[in-house]
Amino acid sequence: MPQYMNEDRFISIEGIARRYPKAGGGETTIFDDLWFSMNRGEFSAIIGHSGCGKTTVLNILAGLELPDEGVAVVDGRAIEGPSLDRAVIFQSHALLPWRTVLGNVAFAVSSRWPDWSADKVRDQAMACIEKVGLKGSELKKPAELSGGMKQRVGIARALSIEPKILLMDEPFSALDALTRGTLQDEVRRICLETGQTAFMITHDVDEAIYLADKIVLMTNGPGAMVAEIVDNPLPRNRGRIDLHKQPDYYALRNHLIDFLVTRSRSFKDEIPETYSKRHPPIVRPTASTSSATDSTLSAA
Amino acid sequence: MSSNLTLRAGVLSFVLFALFIAAWHIATRQIGAVANMDPEYAKLMGLTATTGKSAMPGPFDVAAKIWEHLKNPFYDRGPNDKGLGIQLAYSVGRVMLGYFIAVCVAIPTGFVIGMSPLMNKALNPFIQLMKPISPLAWMPLALYTIKDSAVSAIFVIFICSLWPMLINTAFGVASVRKEWLNVARTLEVRPLRKAFTVILPAAAPTILTGMRISIGIAWLVIVAAEMLVGGTGIGYFVWNEWNNLSIVNVIISILVIGLVGMLLDQALARVARFVTYPD
Amino acid sequence: MFKNPFDHRNRLSRSCACGQHASQGEHEAALRAQSAEIATNTEATYENLVAETVLRQMFPVDAHRRAFLNKLGASTAAAAISSFFPLATATEVFAQASALEKKDLKVGFIPITCATPIIMAAPLGFYVKHGLNVEVNKAAGWAVIRDKTINKEYDAAHMLSPMPLAITMGVGANAIPYTMPAVENINGQAITLAMKHKDKRDPKQWKGFKLAVPFDYSMHNYLLRYYLAENGIDPDTDVQIRAVPPPEMVANLRADNIDGFLAPDPVNQRAVYDGVGFIHLLSKQIWDRHPCCGFAASQEFVKQNPNTYAALLKSIIDATAYASKAENRKEIAEAISPANYLNQPVTVVEQVLTGTFADGLGNVVKAADRIDFDPFPYESFAIWILSQMKRWGQIKGDVDYQKIAKQVYLATDTTKLMKEVGLTPPTTTTKTFSVMGKTFDPSKPEDYISSFAIKRT
Repeated sequence: MPQYMNEDRFISIEGIARRYPKAGGGETTIFDDLWFSMNRGEFSAIIGHSGCGKTTVLNILAGLELPDEGVAVVDGRAIEGPSLDRAVIFQSHALLPWRTVLGNVAFAVSSRWPDWSADKVRDQAMACIEKVGLKGSELKKPAELSGGMKQRVGIARALSIEPKILLMDEPFSALDALTRGTLQDEVRRICLETGQTAFMITHDVDEAIYLADKIVLMTNGPGAMVAEIVDNPLPRNRGRIDLHKQPDYYALRNHLIDFLVTRSRSFKDEIPETYSKRHPPIVRPTASTSSATDSTLSAA
Repeated sequence: MSSNLTLRAGVLSFVLFALFIAAWHIATRQIGAVANMDPEYAKLMGLTATTGKSAMPGPFDVAAKIWEHLKNPFYDRGPNDKGLGIQLAYSVGRVMLGYFIAVCVAIPTGFVIGMSPLMNKALNPFIQLMKPISPLAWMPLALYTIKDSAVSAIFVIFICSLWPMLINTAFGVASVRKEWLNVARTLEVRPLRKAFTVILPAAAPTILTGMRISIGIAWLVIVAAEMLVGGTGIGYFVWNEWNNLSIVNVIISILVIGLVGMLLDQALARVARFVTYPD
Repeated sequence: MFKNPFDHRNRLSRSCACGQHASQGEHEAALRAQSAEIATNTEATYENLVAETVLRQMFPVDAHRRAFLNKLGASTAAAAISSFFPLATATEVFAQASALEKKDLKVGFIPITCATPIIMAAPLGFYVKHGLNVEVNKAAGWAVIRDKTINKEYDAAHMLSPMPLAITMGVGANAIPYTMPAVENINGQAITLAMKHKDKRDPKQWKGFKLAVPFDYSMHNYLLRYYLAENGIDPDTDVQIRAVPPPEMVANLRADNIDGFLAPDPVNQRAVYDGVGFIHLLSKQIWDRHPCCGFAASQEFVKQNPNTYAALLKSIIDATAYASKAENRKEIAEAISPANYLNQPVTVVEQVLTGTFADGLGNVVKAADRIDFDPFPYESFAIWILSQMKRWGQIKGDVDYQKIAKQVYLATDTTKLMKEVGLTPPTTTTKTFSVMGKTFDPSKPEDYISSFAIKRT
């Protein structure tokens, strides 16, 4: 039995496919027969080039899109639409610009608990705003905030509804490096403290290494596949500053970069015989395994 | 710096105004040769014919008449002769009523059209067809079918101010950013709450733009409609004074119509500023 | 219906508005009954009502009144009161006023001197004299006045005399039976030309002119066409005739959009007054004593409100008679010139009504009959108008001239009402007349039409 079958499969993506009609007729298959799973309390990241369908996967998890085939299961229930159990942090913040910081967060809180009194909603919203370090700016409109502060509001809004899963669509890609780093710290801290299950799309290898417990590698689309699932070998108590001092850091980083640079394109042409779409290989690149491909812990 | 700019702009405005008045005054000064007339004949003739006075009134004639109107804006000398204030009140009242009904119809309908691509496609040809119809073209039809000139005037206001609001509402609603709708979806916001807390505020600036276009049209239309229907209102006043070839009063009406139109527009501009959000 | 106030057993309760009924509800029921019965009301009822009112004024306290009646007896009391209060007169006045089906009326007019009787009847009190409260409303144009009258916004209106014929036949509008019980004015129109044409006094020089008339169905149109055709100018091909609302005519003449017009006054005189045009010809020179505008109401209004209609018509006939007297013309000019009515300088209106006017070429002309007022709607007028409508192709096919003329021009009614207000009506309802020297025989309209060289039939 494969290793992951024994674990607590909180989220399970089972053979989903998504197709779009082509301009000149016919269909483009973004991906099909896609399988992977995530455990409760786990932080997963998905890496791949543009057009591989990462965002589509996230949208399916959010319930904003439905798969053409297959099913995404969360906590034993198939996803049929959006749910307050799954909060989304959008790449573009998606704050309602006519509402204040507090108004944006409170909007989410009162959607989650419609019966709550205004005071209770406010308290919950303020608690989340404090958590992301925006206390004092709660009465500002989004236009008065910097990009980083806006995304903090987005995070506060997502956390405020106490979701089972946090879905993040390249949440820090629009931010400058310094802000990005700070926010990554915050998110990691909050997720660790609360045991939050999270799923994130990213382009940034270092971000994935720092935040994710498990990194899903997707090949280029159309017809994208999950090439492998990387198990992060770095210790759980890793810090951003000394990340590169970790013994396994370079092995992992090289493996990821190698994938993005070459294998994401070539994988399709040299699929290993043991490869199964249903059970993509799990790899754990460490310093002791000089080459990433050798360290495959395939379940074949 | 900005107060300095305001001051300079004010001075420039004033100079331009003074120049305009001076040019106007010079252009309408008494000119033309005065024909030698039998005094008995001259008594029967107007000033234009006897003294060569320009048919166009000068700025001081207009100012004097404005003062006269301002002194007594609400006189009532019978059904066909009422003060400028009363006439304006009639016109504004009609515009408000027709416009209000149009708002009540256009915004909900625009919402439906904006939310449903099907309705949008199905109704678009009709809207495009109805939009460019001149208010005066509606008037005979309205008079004939409604059989009441007061209601007809309001109907024409309604029908002409409907389209810009309808189109803008539909457009505003249809172009609410997908991400805001997605926020509402992931938060499982009920449709009605979504309409009022997300779509309406998001589309409000566009809707207000439509409302501003509409109030401008409504104000244009009322003057034309009242000229045609007669009875009361600023449009009737213009017509009645034209009837008397009183260019002074026609000029005053033009000023007043412009002024009220501007006030209506400014009022909505204020509302628009209130609902506009920086992006 | 009403209790006898001279019966002392009767208590004049004050429990309702008029004090006659036990409750307001009863009072209103009585009012309804009163209006229902009004047609068959007897003089006696009115007498009681009037007497009762007088009595209550004399004895506000019920007990006193009863004591008074007890002492004298009812009939003696009535006699006693009538000795110092003209009960009979009061009753008559009351009966007249009450018999009206509708007292508050709206009458539409176009601000031209043709409407003089309709307008002046308001400021000079002719409507009030006949128990009516009439609001005269200015309308923006003939189509508007037609539509507002058809829509019943106006109870009656000033119309061009061909209009009721056209409406009745459904020409240019849906057919609705209309009546024109009174002509308002005769003569009073003129051909005015732009100053630049002051040397072109012969219509033969007018080829290519753009001329305006107030409406397609107007005497102005027919008279202008007749005048042009008699002078060898085809009104459809040699010149352009446009319908232009009277208020716009002077402005258009000034702007050089038109060369002239055959228009109602004060438009002609106003063009002269402003030095824009000159009066080429008065319409009386085409057809002396021709009708121009009329007073019109729908047949429905006449049938539903016979008494109101009679009172209204009497007011108009009265006013017309007053206006026909030359010595009253100055007073009338002052009454109808303000903004509420014609909205014109008094001088202009006065020149039109008195007939002493500047012709625009430097002459003071005296023509006392430039405009006159004669209410009588001769049926032969209608027949002539119909003949011209047919001549110029506005109506086609067979026309029952006599029938339509009788149906619309209510000459018989006018005869009766003229007698009632003390005027002498003509003895016949048709008369022959001549237009530019050519005699019109109302019994042979078809022959008349075919006798013209220029026609569209």
